[in-house]
Amino acid sequence: MSAAADASVEVSLTRRSVPFRGGSVTVVEAGQGPRIGYLHGMVGLPANGLAPLMAELAKDHTVLAVALPGFSGSTYCEDLRVQSDWVVALSEIADLVGLTGLPLVASSVGAMLAMELVAVRPEAFAQLVLLAPLGLWDGNEPVADAFATTLSEQRLILSPNRASTAAIFEDNPTVTDSAARIEDGVSRYLTRTSTASLVWPIPEHGLDLRAHLVRCPVTLVWGEQDKLIPPSYDERFAALLPCVVGRHRIAGAGHLTDWDAADEVAAIVRARLG
Amino acid sequence: MKFVWFHLMPYPDLPKDFPDRYRSVWVDIDPSLFDPAVGHRVYNEYIDQLEYAASVGFDGVGINEHHSNAYGLMPSPNIIAATLARSTSDAAIVVLGDSVALYNPPIRVAEEMAMLDGISGGRLVAGFPVGSPMDTVFAYGTNPATLRERYHEGMDLIRQAWTSDEVFSFNGRYNKLRYVNVWPRPVQKPHPPIWIPGGGSVDTWDYCAANDLVYCYLSYFGYKAGLATMRGFWDKMVERGKPLNPFQGAFAQFVAVADSEKEAFELYREPAEYFFNSCLHVYAGFADPPGYKTPNTVRAGVEGMVERAAREATARAEAKAAAKDNDKPTMPKSSSASQMMSFETMVEKGYVVLGSPDQVISKLTEVGTSMNVGHLLTLAHFGNMDKELVRYNTEMLARKVLPEVQPLFENDWEDHWWPHPLPSAQRVEPAR
Repeated sequence: MSAAADASVEVSLTRRSVPFRGGSVTVVEAGQGPRIGYLHGMVGLPANGLAPLMAELAKDHTVLAVALPGFSGSTYCEDLRVQSDWVVALSEIADLVGLTGLPLVASSVGAMLAMELVAVRPEAFAQLVLLAPLGLWDGNEPVADAFATTLSEQRLILSPNRASTAAIFEDNPTVTDSAARIEDGVSRYLTRTSTASLVWPIPEHGLDLRAHLVRCPVTLVWGEQDKLIPPSYDERFAALLPCVVGRHRIAGAGHLTDWDAADEVAAIVRARLG
Repeated sequence: MKFVWFHLMPYPDLPKDFPDRYRSVWVDIDPSLFDPAVGHRVYNEYIDQLEYAASVGFDGVGINEHHSNAYGLMPSPNIIAATLARSTSDAAIVVLGDSVALYNPPIRVAEEMAMLDGISGGRLVAGFPVGSPMDTVFAYGTNPATLRERYHEGMDLIRQAWTSDEVFSFNGRYNKLRYVNVWPRPVQKPHPPIWIPGGGSVDTWDYCAANDLVYCYLSYFGYKAGLATMRGFWDKMVERGKPLNPFQGAFAQFVAVADSEKEAFELYREPAEYFFNSCLHVYAGFADPPGYKTPNTVRAGVEGMVERAAREATARAEAKAAAKDNDKPTMPKSSSASQMMSFETMVEKGYVVLGSPDQVISKLTEVGTSMNVGHLLTLAHFGNMDKELVRYNTEMLARKVLPEVQPLFENDWEDHWWPHPLPSAQRVEPAR
């Protein structure tokens, strides 16, 4: 199980801003090989370097990732008020940055949006590897409220591994200027705001009514230590999605499997996508 | 200076060990702690107290809105205001809810407040808070990221609804109404004075300054702590080149009067400690949901009022846990009370203005002048205060304090934000 990106493995990395609705979104591309998309979860993308799963996959793939509006330095977009706004935005962004048509690894809130998009636009992604997706709700076993907690408790809900949540909960050590540190803090606050806006107050927006339209192959991955969404939710998704081709649980990983267990998730992705 | 007798309406019978046994007084407080018979009693006592205050010389009576909250039993302040509109005759009725974003559509607020203005003959002050995170985003499930936009849209709708001479359509992001036509119309023209209760948001300062509204700081922590927040508002007024009329400011302050300071300490200790140690036992996880603060407030590092309450509650709990961990035979055993904030500390920090009438006159004059506020929301009831003591405190204030402090600012500034009731000849007294 990996805790963070292996810095010893060097892969090519480019970071660029793509104009989007009066602001911009951050696009990160890394590695060489078959192209694959990556859509982050609740903690966004790191300000520097690569998310651990990207680093792993970039060893033999070209991985294309985008920070959704408000996340990780992408401009916060006040026009994204309800989930359908986000789905349309993802569709627009996927076309802008070249994600459309790729196989996609998507985590948590990103996985929820990816399913919603494929339900109405089947060509959006060729297939999906979904890491602990949000989008369903069982009142007998509810999704935890990650935001009715203190920050330290929130970290524990997301991951048993502090390194996995450092990007969103700790000051960026590379930022030393005081004014820049304040803006870095504001940026991280906006990332949490954007996450909250996607899941508030209950992260269920009727996906169960549309899940049958997600006809592409879907692989479900869950951390056995997921404190946000009980791992048993993979059964609920499997019952609703018409083409689930694999289900995996990773021992020791929390909600952020792409950070907690990047190497194991990457192995699952390679096995599925080749 | 105008004095509004302000009531939070706390639940008075929380168990003594409430902070030890329960996580929060707000949002997820145990429903089984509420005894409807106690609720029946205190609602009536509290309305009696407001009516009494109105009868002995307070300029106004004030109430506010909270949800899922044991220190504020007014999910609907308009219901309380409706009773006061009938049972009082001259006092302003200062309603410091309604939390506009929680009403769908917000013309409901425009309608109910117009009714209150009508029943009272034009004595309404219309308060429109964004609302605390506990009330808005947790108890009412509003998305924190859109709360303020929803609030501002609601404010626009209400003001248009009150002032438009024609039926109009409103096509907002959150409210789509083909026909807006509020009947009844408010008595006051163009509309009742608007006060904006705030908890420390930088953008609320600017909103009030830009729109000539009263900034009303509803702090639990007294004038010493509130000074910086009120200065923030006045700085925005200076930036906009606007006059620093003290009547454009309002501030909440706990006040406890007795014949002597010593007696005041004896009389008011228990209710104050009940309020600050049990009623403000707020779980920190509810205080700062992401998106509730504006980026400007995050940037400015301003701590909201409920955030502070939660932080202090957490600090008390941690201190208590540490004391328990360090409990050794050589150390005196820590009691629950020893970990609570003492009444002396509350008075020293200015949370409670306390003393003889002369001392309170002096301190309230200082509150008014140092903060430049012309409206004082006087909290003469707090915590689980006995009704006789409430009456005593209210009477002492009315008889011995108010006459000395009320002249402050009155000759130098005009209060543009106070109700203008109908002339006496047009006012109808309720038939008994």
